Amino acid sequence: MDAKDILGLQKTSFPSAQEKKPRAPKEPQRKPDGVSREVYALTGGVGMAPLMPTIEASHLKRRPAVEKEKVAWQWLPFTSSARTDNLQLYHWVRVVNNVPPTGDYDFAKYNTKVDVLKYTDEEYEKYLTEPTWSREETDQLFELCQRFDLRFIVIADRFPTARSVEDLKSRYYSVTRALLIARARSFDEVAGNPLVKETFNAAHETERKRALSALFSQTKQQERKDAEVLAEAKRIMESRAANKNVEEAGAPTSLPNAAVPADGVSPLSNNLPSSAATHPAAAANTSIPDTLRMLKVYLRTHALDQMVQAVTASAGIRMIKRVDQTLQDLGVNLKPKVPTKAVCAEHLELRNEILTLLNIQKQLQNKEAEVLANRESSFTEAPTTPKVPCS
Amino acid sequence: APIILSDSPPAAAAGAEPALTAAQKALRSKPARAPEDPDKKNKKLKDVEISFPIVYGTISFWLGKKASEYNSHKWTVYIRSATNEDLSVIVKRVVFQLHPSFTNPTRVVEQPPFELSESGWGEFEIAITLYFHSDVCEKRLDLFHQLKLYPEEDAGPQSTKKPVVVETYDEVVFPEPTEAFFLRVQNHPAATVPRLPPGPMELMSHDKKRFDTKDHSLSQWFSNFSEADELLKLAAARQQVQAHIAKLRRQLSMIEGMPQQSRVISGPGQQFGHG
Repeated sequence: MDAKDILGLQKTSFPSAQEKKPRAPKEPQRKPDGVSREVYALTGGVGMAPLMPTIEASHLKRRPAVEKEKVAWQWLPFTSSARTDNLQLYHWVRVVNNVPPTGDYDFAKYNTKVDVLKYTDEEYEKYLTEPTWSREETDQLFELCQRFDLRFIVIADRFPTARSVEDLKSRYYSVTRALLIARARSFDEVAGNPLVKETFNAAHETERKRALSALFSQTKQQERKDAEVLAEAKRIMESRAANKNVEEAGAPTSLPNAAVPADGVSPLSNNLPSSAATHPAAAANTSIPDTLRMLKVYLRTHALDQMVQAVTASAGIRMIKRVDQTLQDLGVNLKPKVPTKAVCAEHLELRNEILTLLNIQKQLQNKEAEVLANRESSFTEAPTTPKVPCS
Repeated sequence: APIILSDSPPAAAAGAEPALTAAQKALRSKPARAPEDPDKKNKKLKDVEISFPIVYGTISFWLGKKASEYNSHKWTVYIRSATNEDLSVIVKRVVFQLHPSFTNPTRVVEQPPFELSESGWGEFEIAITLYFHSDVCEKRLDLFHQLKLYPEEDAGPQSTKKPVVVETYDEVVFPEPTEAFFLRVQNHPAATVPRLPPGPMELMSHDKKRFDTKDHSLSQWFSNFSEADELLKLAAARQQVQAHIAKLRRQLSMIEGMPQQSRVISGPGQQFGHG
């Protein structure tokens, strides 16, 4: 009579060695794919990254069809149309199926040349004579131009007589231009040619280069001064734009060419009328508040109180506190100990003056903050350019 | 503005009651109507201001041995002319309103000296109300004073000999006095008139009672109120402020004129490269 039988409970499930569960032979822990056997053994499988291959082998590009063709590399001679001599050069060539590549040398196409015009004697006599240039010199110039592809620095170096780059350029461009115009049947034909359209401005070029070298050799101090001047100029421009109604009697802010600061900063004269209109202080104590007018009799202290209130009515509570604080700092009683008529008058005047002072202080603070903000903003806008003069 | 010291009496009159002319006497005794000149009496003088410098306050003595719990101090509250002249020239009566714990807290004083003495233990606010003569002003004027019995903390133990004195200076201003009133008081030493009185001060006649406080029993404790000190201090302060204003104005105009050059200290050298 098992109690559990009566209660209907199940028999306990003690594994009293009843069934031998068919056990699959447990493999020794299977090594996961993607990890080499040794690594796995070393690490014990702990702390490994998620075992997912990140690069699918199938995603990689198939190597181009290598199978069909036979590719070999050969050391072969070649010719280039860019060369005028008969120098024999060699290079590695990828030969496919025993067929060497044909065609010009790949890089020959980069051998550009400038079309330097050649003039005849007749043309020279007719159009190209120039007092400062002899025929020989011009010939030499053009020969060098042809040879060096208009690289005037090199040409200038090699020019037999000493002439500046601008000079050479000037001569070349003017000669070429004259030739073009002379040879063209009508002016319109060559009007589009840049050589014709623009003339070479030697003076400008000289100046430009001089300025550039000056800029390059500026001292740090001059740099700073320039920055200031430019910032100031900008500020003036802005204020002018803002105050369109303020008529300027020619305020010559000599905006320096950024390229011509060599002699230091040119002083700015600013004719902007001073807008420092001080806040008009409250009316003097001669204006009696209406409340006092009504009274047939009053105490002097009461009158003073009323006047003080009238004066500080427009100012905020903060201003009133500041006035009181200032009075204390000056060692003055907030309410006079001996309030005679004179004392009260002086007291009131003092309060007025303190108000004026505080207002000017605030104005000054605002102005300074404004200027500071302007300067900072102008600094952040300026780009830094590399200090390399180029011609 | 007069500089008034209590112990230097003004030029001629030594604590005087003005000698009244017949007309003035008539005016005084018949405030309602004057036979001679009704217009004159009521005409208001617009640009003339009459003021009376006053001092009001309390003096309190510790009773010492005689002090009890409810009666530790004896004190006097009063209002006097700042030069110890006779205030009854304008003041008809003074009403002192005491703390309700006093019997009959409303105390009326009809003649000079306008004061009230009491004893007690507590400090409270006393209301002092001035009623003027009818030709002076029909409105009353209220002042308030805090009775102080105990000395400051660092003053040491109380003494029966040395009282606690608190006085306040002020001025009673009549902005538009009637001509009659003006004429009556313009030469009175208690009054301050903006322009000097045309004639010499009126002399006192001997047999008049003296209603000033110059020889008051407590006069030794009266304070000297000198406007000179305060004027000096105010003038110095004003000068300071004015100088400061001028300096700031210069700075301001400099900023708006030629700014940066003088003010830039150091900044990163930025290059504005063109070219």
